[in-house]
Amino acid sequence: MSSPATEIQQERAPLFGKKERTALMDPLSDNNPITVQVLGICSALAVTIQMNRALVMSAAVIAVLITSNVVISLIRNLIPPSIRIIVQLSVIASLVIVVDQILQAFLYDVAKQLSVFVGLIITNCIIMGRAEAFAMANPPWQSFLDGLGNGLGYGIILVGVAVFRELLGSGALMGVKVIPQAVYDMGYVNNGLMVLAPGAFILLGLMIWAQRTWTGYAEEA
Amino acid sequence: MAFSNGYIFGFAATVCVVCSLSVSGVSLSLRDMQELNKERDKNGSILGALGLPEDGSAMDGPTIDKLWKERVEQRFIKPDGSPADASLDQDGDGDLDEDDVRLAVQAARSADKAPAVLNVFVRMDGGQASAYAIPLAGNGLWGPVSGYLALDKKGREVTGSTFFAPKETPGLGAEIVESYWEDKWKGKKLVKAGKSAPIRVVKGEAAVVCPDSIDYCVDGVSGATITSRGVDEMVERAVRWYDPFLSNIRKGA
Repeated sequence: MSSPATEIQQERAPLFGKKERTALMDPLSDNNPITVQVLGICSALAVTIQMNRALVMSAAVIAVLITSNVVISLIRNLIPPSIRIIVQLSVIASLVIVVDQILQAFLYDVAKQLSVFVGLIITNCIIMGRAEAFAMANPPWQSFLDGLGNGLGYGIILVGVAVFRELLGSGALMGVKVIPQAVYDMGYVNNGLMVLAPGAFILLGLMIWAQRTWTGYAEEA
Repeated sequence: MAFSNGYIFGFAATVCVVCSLSVSGVSLSLRDMQELNKERDKNGSILGALGLPEDGSAMDGPTIDKLWKERVEQRFIKPDGSPADASLDQDGDGDLDEDDVRLAVQAARSADKAPAVLNVFVRMDGGQASAYAIPLAGNGLWGPVSGYLALDKKGREVTGSTFFAPKETPGLGAEIVESYWEDKWKGKKLVKAGKSAPIRVVKGEAAVVCPDSIDYCVDGVSGATITSRGVDEMVERAVRWYDPFLSNIRKGA
């Protein structure tokens, strides 16, 4: 139940002002959900063996994140604070099930590969984190941008890890062999570590290090 | 703003109703497509085990439907290997289909005897049976595992296999659905000294564990002892159940 004053203020606010830009751009680098906030690590390790899995997973997370942010934001003034977490979870869980059903109907092969990890989007901390930290306190348009930004920030890292893992682990990108047979004939072998979860851990660690060196971010002691 | 208890309960109930309605609505409206996908996935796997299409290329949905209709015939057999007729109907709908086999197999597994009716998928080449795929069903670690074992037209050698392990651990038990493991079954023998002999899934490498009978042994999946044992049991059971049928085709009947 927002007061008339804030509503007028909102109408006058530009469609793409400073706040909107921050909501969209910050999570891409300075406040990246994976490398800075270190959320959503489980799926970043699990679905990055191949690029196409990482892309579909990112798309699914972006879709859920945007919709959950917008829905939560629309009803933010109606949600009683005492049950807000469970309301957020219900919204998120419903959206994830819908995404899972859509994947099973239209992208069956990918749905089979992603298997349990689509369902595990429910427990992806990024989504609940954004709902609680941003959508509960901001209007729908900004929440939409925040969801898009965080989803993209998540997707960039996921795809980045997947590129290295697929290239070094299977010599392919998007399932297409890119390392020519001649190189294998000369004695090159695929790095088996990259196919396993520890390979993703190491890559992710390197990425977090590189990104924090780049932005100069330091954990508060 | 303070919310009354009544409002809180009402709001929670509304959220529940809206969420469940939207989830079940989506689920209902997409069910047909999902069933079709599952059916095609299964048929595509059987086609793959039977060596279709010949060039091994990937198939899209309509291709699977076409090949399935033209090249594969489902036959129903009695435990003694002879063709079954509609009198063996299990679910009371008057004809034989896969549901009847499922019921018969369920009853048989709890009673430890051969099912009243079994099915086999036959690859047809110019009107002649050229390969057979027999269904497998068993239990893995977390849930059911199943698959199809494709045999040559004499029922003596495995020409292909496909497995399903929807509940098994990715990277461990679920490795049985990967093509490298399915390929290990190719060329394994089902006949030893004139009798049906099951192919065993051994713990460790077949070449080390059973070097004398390498044609009847498949490497177990490391880290997935119970899933491997489940596959071993379901193959053993299928070979036992299908033995009369296999003897018939070996004799050329």
